[in-house]
Amino acid sequence: MQHAEGLEELGREIAAASEFLDRAEEQISSCIIGQKQVIRRVFIAMLSGGHILLEGVPGLAKTLIVRSFAAAMNLRFRRIQFTPDMLPADLVGTMVYNPKDMEFHPRQGPLFANVILADEINRSPAKVQSALLEAMQEKQVTIGSNTFQLPSPFMVLATQNPIEHEGTYLLPEAQVDRFMMKIIVDYPTYDEELEIMQLASASGPLPEIRAVVESGDIALARNLIDRIYVDPRVQRYIVDLVVATRNPAAYGLPLLEPMIEYGASPRASIFLLLAAKANAFLQHRAYITPEDVKELAFDTLRHRIIPGYEAEVDNVSTDDFIRDILQHVQVP
Amino acid sequence: MILAIAALLLTFFVIAAPLAANAEGAKVMVRVSPDTVYAGERISGTILVQHRLGTTVAVELPDSLALSPFILIGRTNTTKPFSASMTEVRVELELAVFGSGSQQFPAFTLAFFDADGLMIGRQEHRTDAQVIVKTLTSPDMLDFRPLKPPERPGFPFRLLLPILFGMLGLAAAVLLALFLVKRKVRLFAETVDPSQVAGRKLRRLEGRLSSGMQPSECYAELSTIIREYLERHYHIQALEAVTQEIERDLRKLGVSSFETIMTLLRQADLVKFADSRPTADESRNSIRKAGEIVRSLESGGKG
Repeated sequence: MQHAEGLEELGREIAAASEFLDRAEEQISSCIIGQKQVIRRVFIAMLSGGHILLEGVPGLAKTLIVRSFAAAMNLRFRRIQFTPDMLPADLVGTMVYNPKDMEFHPRQGPLFANVILADEINRSPAKVQSALLEAMQEKQVTIGSNTFQLPSPFMVLATQNPIEHEGTYLLPEAQVDRFMMKIIVDYPTYDEELEIMQLASASGPLPEIRAVVESGDIALARNLIDRIYVDPRVQRYIVDLVVATRNPAAYGLPLLEPMIEYGASPRASIFLLLAAKANAFLQHRAYITPEDVKELAFDTLRHRIIPGYEAEVDNVSTDDFIRDILQHVQVP
Repeated sequence: MILAIAALLLTFFVIAAPLAANAEGAKVMVRVSPDTVYAGERISGTILVQHRLGTTVAVELPDSLALSPFILIGRTNTTKPFSASMTEVRVELELAVFGSGSQQFPAFTLAFFDADGLMIGRQEHRTDAQVIVKTLTSPDMLDFRPLKPPERPGFPFRLLLPILFGMLGLAAAVLLALFLVKRKVRLFAETVDPSQVAGRKLRRLEGRLSSGMQPSECYAELSTIIREYLERHYHIQALEAVTQEIERDLRKLGVSSFETIMTLLRQADLVKFADSRPTADESRNSIRKAGEIVRSLESGGKG
């Protein structure tokens, strides 16, 4: 069988260029036990310029994952703890008066880093959240009359706790939609927990994460991802999945119709395609398959589907909707 | 039983005056039926006179004035022997009755004649028989008696019963027909062998390939045919599953031609998603290989 010539060449380039991710994964895994899927999703978001909303109970190494990731990828990392008394200036920076030259100078806030961990983003009021989300969208911030480009790559990993809602400000749907993926960080398995316990109780320091990525690796990877082949059949499959969230009856799921109040936005299709391409890159492939799409469907769609009253009454989650849709939409 | 009912009815509707014997040795009985009527309605009165053989009896009614509130409408007389020494005279009267309340049956006179036709005696006879006359007005006709309003006719539910039974019958017939059709379709579908369906589709696909079908299109259809066959043969969800999921399911089932099936599906994936371009011969080979898989799985049972 004759393979597409360009793709074969691209496949070789991808195989060579994606090696740094294997090295980075190895480094991160030296101090993070388990959570492989979360780590891979973080890679995918970084490669496709997306941001991640992490949801999980405290103590699941969310911060450690992000810190280790930034260290392994040789990226500047900042952790911002969101609090109710925070102001947008605490994020983006402010104008500071300099008595020497008697002028105001812009002082950049903690947002000027490559990897931002917005810890407990729902603890801050809407104006702070929207300042962050605006920066996520525009990749630039304005302090006074000066506009500054944020460093590239720029990636936000926001966390929120699913069990505590008192004194929190729920992220509006329009803002949640800007996150490429919402990842549910789950508890480790029995064996993983055993290993975590042994590692944490050892008297020595935790293994140090070495930077294994050289400057230009990420840019090259992004460039190659842009060239990954996407067959029209897979494109249609992605659109089918997203449209099925809006009109489930047309896909043989009339029972979901009253349960879904709003389906996923077109951003879902865009992000699902970008994530699938990055996933193919991670697997050293020059083309995407429905496997890539299916693998990422939950993480890219779950925060974009708004369940209706009936779903809440019946205790049906958005993951249940996505599972049903994946089982009913025919794979090309 | 019938006799008992007749006797009861007779007791209920007929007030019979006891037979009374008079001076001439005649016995008289008066019956009125019915005993209760509305003003203006008719009653029938029967006067029975049993007298000795050899005499004749005539029943004389008073004039119309004395007869009031009764009005004589009609009268029939019959005479017949009652026993060896007695004869019975039966006078049937049809009377209209007016007035209101309890009305005494009018008194009448019995005239006795001998065999030569000479009157031998005359006797007035009064009876206890009476008729209750109901009226819609007071006796002076000035006030209406309280009238019970007529009952409105109820909804004729009984008339609906045939329609209801008809509809139920029709619904039952439709349900039965649907059930039978569904059963027939299911039985028919079960009898259609998935391998036969797959074989027929593969032959048709080969034919289309020979008549100029694009090999890449051929692989897409080949993949669908194999998935459909696997879905029906192993009862797994293959059309909505990606190749990895099919691989996992087939591995669990321990399918004998596992490697060959997966190679075919992966090749088809390369053509569908990685822009690989197979030749017509490669496509033909793959179709034949798919046919062999179907045949071997069919001969080897379900796993």
